[in-house]
Amino acid sequence: MEILKVKNVSVSYGKKIAIKNASFSLKDQEILGFIGADGAGKSSLLHAIAGVVSFDGEIIYKNYTYHSPKEAEKIKNEISLMPQGLGLVLYDFLSVKEHFDFFRDLRGLKKDEEYEKRLLKMAGLYEFQDRLAGNLSGGMRQKLSLILSLLARPKLLILDEPTTGVDPISRAELWDIVNEMREEGMSAIISTAYMSEASKMDRIMLFDEGEIIASGRADELIENIKDYTYEGEIESKECFSFNKRTYCLKPLNLKKATPTLEGVFFVNALKKGKKPIIFEIPKKQIDIPNIIVEAKCLTKKFGAFIADNCINLELKKGEILGLLGANGAGKTTLIKMLLGLYPIDEGELYLLGKRIKSYEDRIELKSKIGYVSQKFALYKDLTIRENLEYFAKMHGLNMSESSKKIKEYSQMLGFEEYMDNFPKEVPLGINQRFSVAAALLHEPVVLFLDEPTSGVDTVARSAFWKLIRKLKANMGISILITTHYMSEAEYCDRVAVLKRGVKIVDDKVENLHKKYPGLDFEDIFLNIYKEKQNK
Amino acid sequence: MKMSAILKKEFLVFFRNIGLVMFILYAFTLDIYIAGKGIKVTPRHVSIGYVNEADNLIVNKIISHFHSPQFKKPKLFLSEKALKNAIYNRKIMVGIVFSKEFVKNLISGKVAKLQVLIDSTAAAQAEVTLIYLQNILMNFEHKIKIPANIDIIKLFNPNSNTKWFMSLSELMSNITMLGLILIAVVFVREKENGTWDIMLLMPVKGSIIIFSKILSQVLILMVGITISVGLIIFGIFNTPINGSLFDFYLISFLFSFAIGGIALVIAAISKTILEVAHLTIVIMLPLIFLSGAWTPLSSMSPFIQFLSYFSPLRYYIQATQDIFFRGSGFVDLLPYFGAEFLMAVILFYIGYRKIGRLF
Ligand SMILES: Nc1ncnc2c1ncn2[C@@H]1O[C@H](COP(=O)(O)OP(=O)(O)OP(=O)(O)O)[C@@H](O)[C@H]1O
Ligand SMILES: [Mg+2]
Repeated sequence: MEILKVKNVSVSYGKKIAIKNASFSLKDQEILGFIGADGAGKSSLLHAIAGVVSFDGEIIYKNYTYHSPKEAEKIKNEISLMPQGLGLVLYDFLSVKEHFDFFRDLRGLKKDEEYEKRLLKMAGLYEFQDRLAGNLSGGMRQKLSLILSLLARPKLLILDEPTTGVDPISRAELWDIVNEMREEGMSAIISTAYMSEASKMDRIMLFDEGEIIASGRADELIENIKDYTYEGEIESKECFSFNKRTYCLKPLNLKKATPTLEGVFFVNALKKGKKPIIFEIPKKQIDIPNIIVEAKCLTKKFGAFIADNCINLELKKGEILGLLGANGAGKTTLIKMLLGLYPIDEGELYLLGKRIKSYEDRIELKSKIGYVSQKFALYKDLTIRENLEYFAKMHGLNMSESSKKIKEYSQMLGFEEYMDNFPKEVPLGINQRFSVAAALLHEPVVLFLDEPTSGVDTVARSAFWKLIRKLKANMGISILITTHYMSEAEYCDRVAVLKRGVKIVDDKVENLHKKYPGLDFEDIFLNIYKEKQNK
Repeated sequence: MKMSAILKKEFLVFFRNIGLVMFILYAFTLDIYIAGKGIKVTPRHVSIGYVNEADNLIVNKIISHFHSPQFKKPKLFLSEKALKNAIYNRKIMVGIVFSKEFVKNLISGKVAKLQVLIDSTAAAQAEVTLIYLQNILMNFEHKIKIPANIDIIKLFNPNSNTKWFMSLSELMSNITMLGLILIAVVFVREKENGTWDIMLLMPVKGSIIIFSKILSQVLILMVGITISVGLIIFGIFNTPINGSLFDFYLISFLFSFAIGGIALVIAAISKTILEVAHLTIVIMLPLIFLSGAWTPLSSMSPFIQFLSYFSPLRYYIQATQDIFFRGSGFVDLLPYFGAEFLMAVILFYIGYRKIGRLF
């Protein structure tokens, strides 16, 4: 039985066509995945189906046909949409519990203690019901929006990248819930950037530049690319390499590997004549101490709650340090203490060999530090060019220097064509790269990157990591980075794992592989988390 | 260099918020026009002074009709000169001179002339007071059946043009409101959009960021004032200016910084633009009330009159009225400039300390 039929749906914003003539149908109790690069049109189609944007074409839900948001009003109580973005639907000044009350009232639902408790536990928010949404960590916000969209037990669940910034443990739990609700008769359309998640869906549709270019089960999609997938990573102008695999259209003298869904993106990009970006970063020697950051027993408390508990951390010159941990483990809080955005409650901090105590101690160091925040916060009323010009000037670059640098970085990081767009108008992957550019303009010696790859598509992520490693190799920059893609941890020299504000592991990646032979990093992470039960 | 970067950024952000730009334009033009044309005010606690040359009971009878809440208890003056002085110093708004002639004529059934002095710089109140006065005398006429003429001498604003006053008062209230909102919003917008941290990480002293941000909005205010004065005050209402326009800009500039200090406090404690709006209203009302824009200061209780010395708007309004209507020169205005400057320094210091803690 088909529950949803989408016929020739197009969505456009002004001149820009976001999705063109999309047609597909969804079976009862089916879980359909949308995958595709940023800006491929997934969100627009999801919004059209949920009846929140106007569209051309026809959508039939059960037996009801609608052509506009107005006509879709009738079925909105059976459909639940969770839009993309870190907790956009939340109110910062309501607590978790108040959000539940509010949404329950809004939707006219009866209170179901058991179910709500389950949702809260799944999201790891059960203990934090009284905390204001504004004080939750990025991932916790995401999970709260997610469980709120599940509250109404919709017949058709539409999730737009629900697991962006969500830790591996919660991601697994989310799937348990979705599967269970499917048993009770729910269908779902879910867009995701995690290919391991997409593999678990009944059917996947691949989007590219406003069109659906392939659809089928994960194994069917993978079948098409097995001829182009090789083991290992190489440096090449014609092949993409990411996560221990290389994708190339021309035959290579390498061992073939079993493809993964991620490969679909690379092969598709190659078939369209796209080439990996080669970052030309000039080699440079910087004269800085061997230890860039040294934290001694740093502690941060919010009231009685200890967000970071006596954390010791060292970042060496030219090192990529991955900071891992579940949502709310204290990663962002730690970075903010290092940056001086939060006062340090206890402990000592040394930056570039200098003890940091006061605001004045920092001011001269600011020009040596680059930071990309979890939300890629840039000025939304300024175009990308104006944003960059502002940052350059603030860092004391003169006109000619600044326009030279901006041109250089926009070419290097591949966002030249978007220079006169506003941040809202460009795909997330582009925003991410331009945030990094903004953080690099003044040539810092250390970069703090808080989940720079969350919500960014696969090809952009592979380019990003290439850039990061190049920066490290050629410029000697040290990088502290957080991520929830465990496979990305492989690119770090060392990882520190936080759990509930305590550092439970701090080791070289190769050592961890030795300790847990044969496991991929996601499993290593899950193992570490299980073993170290603090509290 | 860094300052110009901040200024440029703030101007771009301002002009890209079309809604805000429209609102500001409205507040500086149409709103002033409507206020100039429209508002009616009932007198409250108007202060009256009188000179009783005739020393007659009829005078006391007439005087007894001026009672609260419209009027304060009338005050007796010994000479016309003392009364005029009191009006000049804004102790008294309306002065009535009962001459010997008046009483004589009144009793003998001739046309009696009554001299009334009003401080027309608060034209609205003065005008309504006159209407009251006429009614009171009219009642008398019915009883004693004699015609009485009122001879009105208007001080300082000979044509007693309500719209000039109302439009200027409205302009000043709007400058207060917009100053508070605009300046608080440049800071709070950064909080709301999550760019606050990025701002803090710029290798620029907090003081420079704070000062540049405020300056950007003060300049926007100045442009707004220019539009309003040019288009509405001079253009439509043909308001005369007896003093110098430069003095007016100078006092406006000082006033903007005093308001900026208060706005910094608002910015420090608000997290959202909505909160800014709420706080602005809460703070703006007493500021305006204490300034004498609605009710003349001379008709307020001594305690409130004392409090009014702490309202930066008080000096601004008085100086502006003096510049426009009394034609006071720079030297006469010095006390206002001095007081406003002091207010600006004090308020700015408080605001700066408060927001500085977030840097
Ligand atoms: N201002 C605050 N007041 C109270 N609690 C806070 C505040 N800021 C953060 N917290 C709490 O501190 C803990 C750590 O938050 P933090 O943002 O550091 O987590 P994180 O590791 O970055 O998580 P995520 O992966 O979701 O981004 C969370 O439980 C969070 O709710
Ligand atoms: Mg975080």
